[in-house]
Amino acid sequence: MITTGSKFLYGLGTATTVAAILWFIANDGGSIGVVALAFLAVALFFIGAIASFVRDGHVLSTETEAHASSNAAQRGVGRSWFPFGTAFATGMVAVGLVSSPGIFKVGICLQFAMLGEWLIKNWSDRASSNPAYNEKVRSWVVHPLEIPVGGSLLLAVIVLSFSRIMLSISKESGPIVFAIAGALVLFVGSMISVRRGASRRIVGALAGVVLVALSGAGIALALDGERHELTVAAEEDHFAHRPCGEEAEEADEDAGRAVSAKSSVAATVILRDGRLFAEMDGWAGELSAITLQRSNPSNILFINEDDHEHRMVVTYGMITEDLGGGVSKDTVLEACTSLIGKGGTQAVSVVIPKPSFASEEPYSITVPGVEGASIEIQVP
Amino acid sequence: MKSSRRWSTAIKSTLAVSALTFLAGCAKDAPQDTWQPAGPNAEKIDNLQRPVFYVAGIVGVIVFAAVAWVIFRYRDRGQALPEQTHGKPALEITLTVIPVLILIGVGVPTVGTIFDLAKTSDTEMTINVTGQQWWWEYDYPAVGDNADVYGISEPIVTSGQLVIPEDTKVLLRVTSRDVIHSYWIPKLNGKKDGVPGRVHLLRLEGSEPGIYAGQCTEFCGLSHAYMRMETVVLSKTDYAAWVANQLEPYASPSADNALAVEGEKLFLQQCARCHQVNGLLNPDGTPNIAAPDQYVVSGAAPNLTNLMTRNTFAGASWDLLTPECRDDVWNASSAEFGAKYLAGVSEDCLNQKDLREWLRNAPEKKPMYADPTKLTETGGKYRGMPALGLTEDQINAIVAYLLERK
Ligand code: HEC
Ligand SMILES: [Cu+2]
Repeated sequence: MITTGSKFLYGLGTATTVAAILWFIANDGGSIGVVALAFLAVALFFIGAIASFVRDGHVLSTETEAHASSNAAQRGVGRSWFPFGTAFATGMVAVGLVSSPGIFKVGICLQFAMLGEWLIKNWSDRASSNPAYNEKVRSWVVHPLEIPVGGSLLLAVIVLSFSRIMLSISKESGPIVFAIAGALVLFVGSMISVRRGASRRIVGALAGVVLVALSGAGIALALDGERHELTVAAEEDHFAHRPCGEEAEEADEDAGRAVSAKSSVAATVILRDGRLFAEMDGWAGELSAITLQRSNPSNILFINEDDHEHRMVVTYGMITEDLGGGVSKDTVLEACTSLIGKGGTQAVSVVIPKPSFASEEPYSITVPGVEGASIEIQVP
Repeated sequence: MKSSRRWSTAIKSTLAVSALTFLAGCAKDAPQDTWQPAGPNAEKIDNLQRPVFYVAGIVGVIVFAAVAWVIFRYRDRGQALPEQTHGKPALEITLTVIPVLILIGVGVPTVGTIFDLAKTSDTEMTINVTGQQWWWEYDYPAVGDNADVYGISEPIVTSGQLVIPEDTKVLLRVTSRDVIHSYWIPKLNGKKDGVPGRVHLLRLEGSEPGIYAGQCTEFCGLSHAYMRMETVVLSKTDYAAWVANQLEPYASPSADNALAVEGEKLFLQQCARCHQVNGLLNPDGTPNIAAPDQYVVSGAAPNLTNLMTRNTFAGASWDLLTPECRDDVWNASSAEFGAKYLAGVSEDCLNQKDLREWLRNAPEKKPMYADPTKLTETGGKYRGMPALGLTEDQINAIVAYLLERK
């Protein structure tokens, strides 16, 4: 006799068998996945058979009169909103087909999820005449899936909202907004933990309100677009051209690539009153020539004290590649900061493989647009 | 009776071992002895460590004696457990205040010394010191006072032996091309790590001409033990002579030294791709530029332009001088030392044995990751110098060529 419990197991077993066959086809035969799925199917059919034999464990097979009166034999009818969900998903699939593949894919996933839920709901509704018990049966089966998937979706919404907010608000207000938000979370959290009495309902409601506000702000700011500098950098196609050239216009207003500056700098290059000079540990005063060790990563820090935006360019020779057939390609070895405004600081890191005497042009540090601004680099 | 005899044997042997260990610290010929400072920086450390050592020693003796006395005096003889007390504020406060006072007494001069040794504003000369597996490179930049005062009009690159003028505040800019190394000349100053991507500053000053030995003091792989270095202090006039010699333009071997002429050819074929010899020309007349960055993991190999002006090679682990000639230089009085050092390595004084062994099969002499079949991990690059399979004739020619590099 096919009981409610065994039906579930047989169903799962059949699905697994189908999956094994599909896997076999998709992976051109022979695969450890097929073996694993086949074993799983056998195990499910086996347990299903046992469930049939013991009448889902509710009655002994010998107690024939009890068969009809057992929980498993009763039918209760529960209400379900999954048909509605499935219909909605089908609608999405249809809309997606004519509009965008994204909606179509989400629709398909939703359809599968709804159908699965519906199937299990139907199945669990027949577990007994006791709706509370049936709900429990349902939850045993679907919670291990529903909770992690739901949790990940929730997290995705939170992370996405946060990132949209961060990309949209200005660099100055960002730290303030998030410092306040963090402080608030800490404060509310400690209030809840201190006041033991706080009801679950209030906490839940609060979390719900925050979630709605967060995702609302996220959606609103995503529609509003990213902040100005980012939009400009994207429009300029920042990575498509030589970043050291004149045509790279985008400026890092508040240059922040100064992390390496805090670790260790070989030389600091300063542009002040139209003059370019360097400072280095070991030498007093302003230098017009610096020295860097060969084949060794060196950080050079650029400080712009001029009113205009400037970038520092480090040029250290040329490599000539033989492309064959008498054709060769010259590549100028150079590194640069991005354009930085007054008071900005940025570092570049260079590894110079050849000594300066290997190059006809001296190795140098220059600032495009500032006449005569050049520092010689000596590499022994 | 029996057990007490066993005890006395144990005590006697412990004493003997301690005495031996103690005496081992009194070696006569100890070139790396921190207790023999030979420059103001090391003296500062010495002036601090001696009193600290005495204070710590006295405290240690008092504590050990007190513990020993308590152990003996109150040993278990079956007596009743004495009265157990808890807390004795006067005693506890005294026992806290005394160490605090001692530590303040030690701490204040320690902090003062740390700041003194970190000072860079009085620098007179700056030298770059770059560690790599397993040797040190020195480059003397032609920047600032180096050029204006010391006549270093072109950068000088050497290895193994750092040469500095006497009574001059030299600042080393220490870094590394691969892993962490540490530069330490015990008689001249404390140690300073060379860390890739960072530049660390170390003051160095010698007050007496001579050679001061040291050793890499940060474990840096296979041949860490063969990563040694020396600092040579020369009088100011000798130093000027040394600089002038380093800057002398390259001269190809003259035609009557046929062996060396052959050696130059071989050097261009076999060695010049890793080792720079400034001024050496390719057969087509263009300057030869070594490309160690393509063959060696660290991207560097020793500059051999003036190999024979130094007395050691391969991480200062072997001498370029025969033992007699070496002793002659090391034991020279400080007045004679300069002239002997500047003479460099002559044919009679050349330590043929070790140099030839090096050229025959370098990785056999100094363990290095230089097996060409095991270089996939480093993209075909060596750590150290590979065996080049030279014949004895080729080695003769190359040695003749190298002998002229001074
Ligand atoms: C693949 C690169 C490479 C080639 C080729 C090469 N060497 Fe080396 N050589 C090195 C490296 C790296 C060292 C440093 C090894 C060490 O000390 O740990 C070295 C060290 C030396 C030293 C010691 C120098 C010093 O100042 O300590 C001498 C001398 C030397 N090589 C001679 C030669 C000669 C002569 C040839 C040609 C026959 C040659 N080398 C070929 C990489 C190379
Ligand atoms: Cu080392």
